[in-house]
Amino acid sequence: MRRRRGFSMERKKAMWGWLFVLPALVFFSAFSFYPIINAFYESFYNRNLLSLRPPRFVGWDNYTYLFRSKDFWLSVQNTAIFTLGTFIPLVLFSLLLAVCIMSIPRFRRFFQLSLYAPAVLSSVVAALIWLLIFDPRGLANQGMNALLGTSGVNYKWLSDTFMLRLSTIIVYFWKYIGYFTVLFVAGIGAIPYSLTEAALIDGANRWQLFWRITFPLLKPTTLLVSVMTMIQCLKTFSTQYLFSTSGAPTRPINVITLNIYNTAIKDYRIGRATAMSILLFLVMLVFTWLQLRLSRTEEVTFM
Amino acid sequence: MHTKKTRSWYLGHVSTGFMWFVLIAACVLVLIPLAFMFTASAMPARDILRLPYPWIPKGFYWPNFWNGIKGPEDDFIFFRNALNSLIVAGSVAFFTVVLSAITGYGLAKFKFKGRNLVFMLIMATMMIPFEAIMIPLYMVVMRMGLQDTYAGLILPFLANAFGVFLMRQYLITFPDEILDAARIDGAGEIRIFSSIVLPSSGPAIATLAILAFRSQWDSLLWPLLVVQSDEMKTIPLYITRYMAETHSDEGIMMAVAVLASLPMIVLFLTLSKYFVSKEGLTSATKG
Amino acid sequence: MKKAFVLMFVLLSLVFTSLASAQNIEIVYWTHTDDNRTEIENRYIEEFQKLYPNVTVKRVVYEAAKMGDLVLTAFSAQNAPDLFNLPIEQEYGYVIHGRVAPVNYEAAGYANAEELIANYLPGTFDPVTLDGEIYGLPLELTNWSIYINDRIFRDAGLDPDVDYPKTWEEMIEISEKLVIREGDIIIRRGFDFRYPYYLVAMLPMVEQLGGALLSEDGKTAIVNDEAWIQVLEWFREFGPHGRNLGSPTYTAARKVWDYDNNDIAMCLSGFYQQGRLRIDNEEFFESGEWRVVPYPVFENAVQDVACSYYGHYLMVNAQASQEKQYWAWKLAAYMLDHPWEYLEVVNIIQPRNDLLEDPRFMELPYMDVFMNDMERGHIVFLHENGYQFERFIKEAVESVMLENMDTREALDILREKIQEVLDDTY
Repeated sequence: MRRRRGFSMERKKAMWGWLFVLPALVFFSAFSFYPIINAFYESFYNRNLLSLRPPRFVGWDNYTYLFRSKDFWLSVQNTAIFTLGTFIPLVLFSLLLAVCIMSIPRFRRFFQLSLYAPAVLSSVVAALIWLLIFDPRGLANQGMNALLGTSGVNYKWLSDTFMLRLSTIIVYFWKYIGYFTVLFVAGIGAIPYSLTEAALIDGANRWQLFWRITFPLLKPTTLLVSVMTMIQCLKTFSTQYLFSTSGAPTRPINVITLNIYNTAIKDYRIGRATAMSILLFLVMLVFTWLQLRLSRTEEVTFM
Repeated sequence: MHTKKTRSWYLGHVSTGFMWFVLIAACVLVLIPLAFMFTASAMPARDILRLPYPWIPKGFYWPNFWNGIKGPEDDFIFFRNALNSLIVAGSVAFFTVVLSAITGYGLAKFKFKGRNLVFMLIMATMMIPFEAIMIPLYMVVMRMGLQDTYAGLILPFLANAFGVFLMRQYLITFPDEILDAARIDGAGEIRIFSSIVLPSSGPAIATLAILAFRSQWDSLLWPLLVVQSDEMKTIPLYITRYMAETHSDEGIMMAVAVLASLPMIVLFLTLSKYFVSKEGLTSATKG
Repeated sequence: MKKAFVLMFVLLSLVFTSLASAQNIEIVYWTHTDDNRTEIENRYIEEFQKLYPNVTVKRVVYEAAKMGDLVLTAFSAQNAPDLFNLPIEQEYGYVIHGRVAPVNYEAAGYANAEELIANYLPGTFDPVTLDGEIYGLPLELTNWSIYINDRIFRDAGLDPDVDYPKTWEEMIEISEKLVIREGDIIIRRGFDFRYPYYLVAMLPMVEQLGGALLSEDGKTAIVNDEAWIQVLEWFREFGPHGRNLGSPTYTAARKVWDYDNNDIAMCLSGFYQQGRLRIDNEEFFESGEWRVVPYPVFENAVQDVACSYYGHYLMVNAQASQEKQYWAWKLAAYMLDHPWEYLEVVNIIQPRNDLLEDPRFMELPYMDVFMNDMERGHIVFLHENGYQFERFIKEAVESVMLENMDTREALDILREKIQEVLDDTY
């Protein structure tokens, strides 16, 4: 009797579980699952966006084309450079800044707010501001000239291959440094003080404290921040799009998403564009899976 | 407990000077572009790209703001566009929170067959780049007849994988005993959710709402596709009108940038504790 | 009793709305932003709606730069406007793919195609004619020549009457005299291009030297490598890795030119620039201290080609209902029937004979220069993938000019990309 009751209780709970999850599933189906399945389907067809002719089945052609295409590999390279160039400094500097903030006795909130401020601006506004700063007559050249003691040197922020890539990284870094710092501050704040105190009583020095206590306990936060940044960076679009439509050369910042956009919207090649999207999607899937594998799941849930 | 933590608690005083230096330098660097935006908005275009940049405007150049509000077609559509941004971002924030909370709760607190599959599927959508599904998604919205409507701008963003993840992680630590006690007291599941679970999820909800609001306030590509009429444009679209060659004027651009950022800045300053605080994202664990 | 009233009311309103919707036709018209044109076209639309109360017109404007992407996405999603205009090099693909409908001559007020053609400058409809059908009505035909600021010329010790650039080589030399730099950073430019528009403004430079984008049969990309290399070298010479005279990363030339703010002496623009100038800087417009000179040629040019002209044609969605198509053409013809107002208020030229033959026309400031350049030039390069080729040319020029890539390498990449599109068996 008790067992049956327990069983039906379980079933009732299971039903409620489904009921709670159902509305979201409807939304995810219409606006995420269906479009991605559709994209997968399209990637096996050759379809001209403008043409009324029915799409032609081409099998793996779109994929094999991409693997041969220099343009595609350049995009992969650009995305990789952008992701590594943004992700590593972002994680390192936000951790550093968070530790700094937690180590000073006052003005913690002030520093957090100031660092966070750029994140409240929209990407369009951010791109507008930086386009003017990176203008040859803008603040970036003036600042660099003042800093390096040169005069009238044009650092070609928006034209030289290296500098242009750096510029897009700077915009991104600027926009998100505060956000990730705040995440780390919260992470450090969540470490029980008793642990720190105990370590100090045991005679640990500050350096050991950081490496033995703070850093290991921050692992979940670091992991979360890394996954988030990585995925964000792989998806980067607006800065590159706005820069390349405002006079900067496209090739050095032609990241995969921009390539997808141009292939679909400018070249009308939906099949090729969706094949590229699917590849990007798979890469991101693998990255995230790896990241999650590298740590135990409980740690992720601790976050 | 909080007061104890406010002491500089693990790095010696010797290095504190270095800490201050790093923080002040970082803040100055981060705030320079913002200062540039504000000062440039008060200058006529010809002063902005001058060498060297005149940091202090010679008086406040009102025409930038006046022209920025008046719009390229003198129709003051700015206000309508700002309102649209508020409506879209506000609705997305509200409904995302509701939907994520319900789903996160279902995933965290109920065992059912296929739960992990559902969770994995939802998580997988986090990795879908928007550009990948832009055109299929656009076609879905067209088929529903939602082009140029608020619904077309709002609906596709309510299913938010990160929101579900956040709420699930937050609620997973919610003590089961409280829920079971309520069940024994005869409370229905919906009541338990709305009067016990929801009220105690404040910090996570606030964080998620702000996150959703900001991402919509920021959104450019989707409105670019869905919106047709000037009346339905959002603020980022309004700004891009000024990036077009014919209307570009650095002074007006910066004035519009300031105007477009004001609501977010106000929100940020008044609700800063939800943007920036221990109650923010990660400390959700403290429950 | 009450129920019956309610029922009758509901029934009546149903009948009424269904009747209204049966008669009411909504025409959606997409066009690019142009403040002056919006003003007059809104007036025409109002008049049109009064004439034909069963038609409502929804006029939607977009930034010119975004318009191509948006129209394309809308067409691919079967959600296109009934009436729209784009630059002809973009519209061409719509004609090829059967996305736009042939002109309904009756609705447009002509007996047949011949009568329509006879009303316009010869050749006007060539770009939009396919298999004997005409697919668009011209909203404007534009070409660019060089605008000069006399004040800046004199400031640099040059006499605008004599010293204006006649060749591209002179363009570099004169720009060098006009330019003011602080270190490497340019404070005042002599001249600068209109960068994204390579088919209109750069391809003619190649053609002057005997080069072409495609072979006669349209199967091979890049004719005459030497011509292309000379032009690409010219761009390098002009850009930051050469004499450092200008680059796409500086503010758009023709906008700052209006302000007469000692920013730039010369820019490339159409007749309509004068209208913009009058709005932006009336003092300078009235001062008469500016002029328009012809598009230059290379010293070793083998033929005289001026800047290409391009057009915007009003087109009608082929998938709109017959009725909508009819009304869309009627609306288009109604609006276009005001060529003088378009010229005077918006400064755009409709190539209609009644306008061009009007004696007042050639007396407009520098109209002779533009008309002469139009005769020296030809319609912009048209191809189903023209839009795409322009992006590839943009990449090539940017690689050479900004990234200092070897011209031959850049040309090879360009050739490879275009050839690949040509060889594709879509």
